[in-house]
Amino acid sequence: MAFLQTIENLGFSQWVKQSGSLWAFPGILLAHTYGMAVLVGIIAAIDLRILGLMPALPLAPLQKFFPLVWIAFWVNAITGTMLLAADATTKLTNPDFGIKMAFIIVAVITQRLIQTRIFSDPEIDRRPFPSNAKMLAVMSLVCWLGAITAGRLLAYVGNPSGL
Amino acid sequence: MDTLREILTNTSHLHLLLNHIPTTAFLVALVVFVVALVNRSETLTKTSLALFFMIAAIAIATYASGSAAEAWLRGTSPTTELPANVLSDAIHEHEDAALWGTMLMALTGFFSWLALWQGRSVRKRPSWTLPLITVLSLLSFVAMSRTAYLGGHIDHVEIRPDVVARHKACLDLVDAETKHPGSVSNAPANCPWQTAVDEVVGSQAPETAYKSQARALGDFVIGHTWMWPTLETLHFVGLSLLFTAVLIVNLRLLGMMKVVPYSAVYQLLPIGMLGFAINLVTGMLFFVGIPSQYNANPVFYWKMVFVLLAGLNVTYFMLVDDTWTATAGVAAPVGPRIAAASAIFIWVAVLYCGHMLPFIGNAF
Repeated sequence: MAFLQTIENLGFSQWVKQSGSLWAFPGILLAHTYGMAVLVGIIAAIDLRILGLMPALPLAPLQKFFPLVWIAFWVNAITGTMLLAADATTKLTNPDFGIKMAFIIVAVITQRLIQTRIFSDPEIDRRPFPSNAKMLAVMSLVCWLGAITAGRLLAYVGNPSGL
Repeated sequence: MDTLREILTNTSHLHLLLNHIPTTAFLVALVVFVVALVNRSETLTKTSLALFFMIAAIAIATYASGSAAEAWLRGTSPTTELPANVLSDAIHEHEDAALWGTMLMALTGFFSWLALWQGRSVRKRPSWTLPLITVLSLLSFVAMSRTAYLGGHIDHVEIRPDVVARHKACLDLVDAETKHPGSVSNAPANCPWQTAVDEVVGSQAPETAYKSQARALGDFVIGHTWMWPTLETLHFVGLSLLFTAVLIVNLRLLGMMKVVPYSAVYQLLPIGMLGFAINLVTGMLFFVGIPSQYNANPVFYWKMVFVLLAGLNVTYFMLVDDTWTATAGVAAPVGPRIAAASAIFIWVAVLYCGHMLPFIGNAF
């Protein structure tokens, strides 16, 4: 707890929390929202394609979006860490934050599996998917939905701090 | 120039300007639609569907501007009095009618867009789409006409049926007294309209006579602790779905993954529209929940401006053929590229305005 307090007392954390600058809390959260839209949006589209929607859309070329997906992921990892530092004592002791992280870890592993198991085959658009492809797609959708829900609820459950 | 600024910034003027579009312009679109159905003209069908869609987008902004106009009339202080002859109940009746009308028009717009999309899709337009739009557009027209009728009572209290009835009763007394002098005790000499207006205005207890449906819905939204976080979560899911279509379709037109033809990424558009529909419903529930957070918020004003631009932008994609020249391996022409870059800019701006509602504006 003392460690968390130390993080929260850092000059940077105090700036995020209390400076009132639009670049501080509002701007960092804005980047986090754009990151979420790009990351979850593109992944959801690929998942829905694997589940059989939009059959005319070829899957293989969608790999070009993976760099964008991972950029969005790292933007959100960094901005998320900044927001966490500003509110370490409340967010890191909130069980809902652990639930959010668990969803994200499983979602990231699922995304790696989708990329290595399904997209590794250059003939994906001409051959049937591997047997567990649809399960991976469902898991991915469920985990990102869970992460968004748990993330939004951080402002409401546990010990709300006003951030 | 000053007049233009007054119209665009004073939401009361803006509402009086916009409210003609869901009523008058919608009737024009409805006539075009009926002519198109009778003549089986695909060009006219597309024209009327595009009009339905754009008018629906404007109807949403009109609803928001109406709420803003009410806030402007009432002022920020709870003790501010409405102008003489403006009945609080008349505003609430009009607001409820507008909520129904806007919802029906939004449904009409949604299915009109879907019909436009289906018209270009690989498969043919299903047979249920146009009959459904016929029913929805007629219901929208009835609901919006009723809204316009009730809206007239706010500014022209003298044409309210209860005022007209009192005036007529007064005239009957004068008439009876003229025919049979002495037959009516306390017969008035004449019947000024203002007397009837004053009687009606004076007889209505402020804020109590009419039970507002919009307020009941709003109270339901803010009355349950789980409601607001659930709507926010759905709003985030909706924006993610919307963004995926915006990014993949428009980045393709701008040159990314050129091997994929436009006809293939075109399949993503309904996912984006589904995301928009989720956000329209959740957004309207936020709005009726706590109107004051939005109807006097400059960031929300700009959000509506960008949503209307987005409506124009997506209509371009539904009507123009240039995008379809982007077959597998072929770059899109300059027109679609400009539209694609605008689409990304517009939606980034919508998200920015939505996010900044509490930080720049006065929400929360």
